[in-house]
Amino acid sequence: MTTMTSPPRPDSGEAKKRSERNATRLTRRQRLSRLDVKASPYLYIAPFFVLFALIGLFPLVYTFVVSLNDWDILSGAGEWIGFDNYVAELNDPYFWNSLFNTMSIFLLSAIPQLVAAVFIAALLDQNLRAKTFWRMSILIPYIVTPVAVAIIFSSAFGEKYGLINNILTSFNIDPVLWKSEVFPSHFAIATMVNWRWTGYNALILLAAMQAVPRDIYESAALDGAGAVRRFFSMTLPSIRPTMIFVIITATIGGLQIFTEPKLFNPTSANLGGAHREYQTTVLYLWDMAFNRGDFGKASAIAWLLFIIIVGIGMLNFWISRKIASTEVKVISKRRAKKLARYRATTAANPTGVPAASVVDEEKSS
Amino acid sequence: MKSQRRTKMVAAVAGAASLALLATGCSATDGGDSDGPITLTVTTFGTMGLDGLYAAYEAENPNITIKATNIDTGGNALTDWKTKQAAGAGLADVQAVEEGWLGQVMQVSDTFVDLSEYGADDIKDRWVDWKLAQGTDADGRIIGYGTDIGPEGLCYNGDLLEAAGMPGDRDAVAELFGGDSATWEDFFQVGKDYNAATGAAFYDHSGFVWNAMVNQLDEGYYTADGEIDIEGNADLKSQWDLLADGAASGLSAEQSAWDWGGGKAFTDGSFATFMCPGWMLGVVKGQVEAAGGDATSGWDFADVFPGGAANWGGAFLTVPTQSEHPAEAAKLAAYLTSAESEVAAFQAAGTFPSVVAAQTDDGVTGSSELSTFFNDAPIGTILGSRAEGVTAQFKGPNDAVIQEQVFGPATKELDSGVDGDTAWNNALEVLKNLDLN
Repeated sequence: MTTMTSPPRPDSGEAKKRSERNATRLTRRQRLSRLDVKASPYLYIAPFFVLFALIGLFPLVYTFVVSLNDWDILSGAGEWIGFDNYVAELNDPYFWNSLFNTMSIFLLSAIPQLVAAVFIAALLDQNLRAKTFWRMSILIPYIVTPVAVAIIFSSAFGEKYGLINNILTSFNIDPVLWKSEVFPSHFAIATMVNWRWTGYNALILLAAMQAVPRDIYESAALDGAGAVRRFFSMTLPSIRPTMIFVIITATIGGLQIFTEPKLFNPTSANLGGAHREYQTTVLYLWDMAFNRGDFGKASAIAWLLFIIIVGIGMLNFWISRKIASTEVKVISKRRAKKLARYRATTAANPTGVPAASVVDEEKSS
Repeated sequence: MKSQRRTKMVAAVAGAASLALLATGCSATDGGDSDGPITLTVTTFGTMGLDGLYAAYEAENPNITIKATNIDTGGNALTDWKTKQAAGAGLADVQAVEEGWLGQVMQVSDTFVDLSEYGADDIKDRWVDWKLAQGTDADGRIIGYGTDIGPEGLCYNGDLLEAAGMPGDRDAVAELFGGDSATWEDFFQVGKDYNAATGAAFYDHSGFVWNAMVNQLDEGYYTADGEIDIEGNADLKSQWDLLADGAASGLSAEQSAWDWGGGKAFTDGSFATFMCPGWMLGVVKGQVEAAGGDATSGWDFADVFPGGAANWGGAFLTVPTQSEHPAEAAKLAAYLTSAESEVAAFQAAGTFPSVVAAQTDDGVTGSSELSTFFNDAPIGTILGSRAEGVTAQFKGPNDAVIQEQVFGPATKELDSGVDGDTAWNNALEVLKNLDLN
């Protein structure tokens, strides 16, 4: 209070003001540097978000708007019809047929592919001669463009003049109608997918296997665990996170399969087989958009597929979270037991270490 | 919270800035007046035989540069056109359009230049009447100049027919099938005789035969007033029954169209006859050669067609309103469809001219590499005779979809042994599911 009543001391007041001014008024260089610190990180990450907004978010939203309209490819936007396109598609037998085909081809390709990839990776993980040669050679199918793969396989799977049916008939086995029956066509397309992706997945799994510490294997071997036991009890659990990644990417790719069925029988009047035997959902979407010219319904199909993929992706995420959290749970359970044991001993002996150090230990660990 | 909001702001500003950049980047144009150098783009498909004509036109018109694109198949060209039409940009100055998509083109005929504004009325007598009528929209605007037409004759393998105790000579074969009054009943009867003698199939697959049958009728999948009517079209059903009877008698070789085992089916005696519009002759030659065959493979071309005159395919050259040089583009289209040009195209690709003067030109009626392949058949003369009496059928917007998605599976069912009525009912079921109009 005394300072309020006392006369102002101009000298000290001015000095204070000056010093304040010096603190708030920055030089240009300082201001720039502050801006740099605050804004430039956003600038650095901007390219991704700008690109995503342009080629990811905008098409997504625009497709949704189109799906709410009666939109013809040639005459453009028609009436606003709300969710009628979605209702129509959910009642369309061809939509469900395409979903069935997609899932069937996906299961026929993903399961054998992952089993084979794990097996190949385990083989490559051994001490082989010319390691790089073997690793490179399993990746070769992945380098070949899917169009070339589709052309070669569709010729081999030809019904009348194809290589495989020729071999079958030379052994007096009835030729298989690879292009006009449901299961054989799915099998043929899954073969193309497997041929292309098995090596790729094997390499990713191999990388995960190599990260498993070798000394664990050694001690397990010393304890008498055989190669099979080591593989199932040690290798498989250790590569679980990578496995989940491979499964998720395989799911997304599998549900969007297009090139292989599109080119499997390019001369077919109907996309995906005369009776839509292997018309996958993306192929159905393409047919709806470019052959039947209904952009509204095609956009609705795209969104339905998007929702399905997100749903399956979330399921995968949930499963992977669960696996991760069980590991954490096991660890924390162990720790809780230890703590309880410790407390029991300190309770029996109150002159021992104070409780605070236990908390500290808990925090630091 | 605050920092989050700022993030959004920054992202929004950055997004807007880059959008603006894109927008300005896209608006570059090459505005050139008619005297200055002009680049005209041309998009064609399949084998239209026009490639040799571009250089000649450039030589005559030094200020014009032609940038030509040829798309491999009509189906891919249709997708290309539709996509660019929908986008409202990217179409060529001279855009080739196939007869099969005409129904769709006419839906948006106002996006094509009325060629009457650029002298179409002076040259409209050059085409056969029905071709000109096809290229004219409902308001009487001429939007397409006709290139080729597809009059259908009968390709047959003389060696195979003779092996079955039938005549192999061109005129005798025409008589065998009924000459000028050939009917489908005659065709299937000859087929059954052939099958009885050899046990082999008579035609490659049911789809092409069905195609010819439908194209001949006064009304196909659509009524003349533009309504889809298949169930109520008695002619269509009676033709279907004939076709089903033929397939049930083992006359179809169950081949996949456009595949034919890489051409092998043409050389291994799988079938003895084939539906041949003019442009198909080049396809047959290509298939035979792909399978290692040549002119000695026995294929010939007869001046007869079951059920009378039929047309399959043919194309038009149009000028989209997107074009920045409609006058020059129309001039080029007129040049490419002149009598001389169409003769040149026929010699290059076997596309039969829609221009009257070209049809009787020596270059068309004379011998060529193609006629040598077909046992020296006078291809041009025969096609000219087959073109007489062709009438243009109304093609609705979904004609191609019905042909492929409704009757594609149904004809395949016939080939695989399903009875006619079941396949017909399945086709109607598919039509209902597709919900077209």
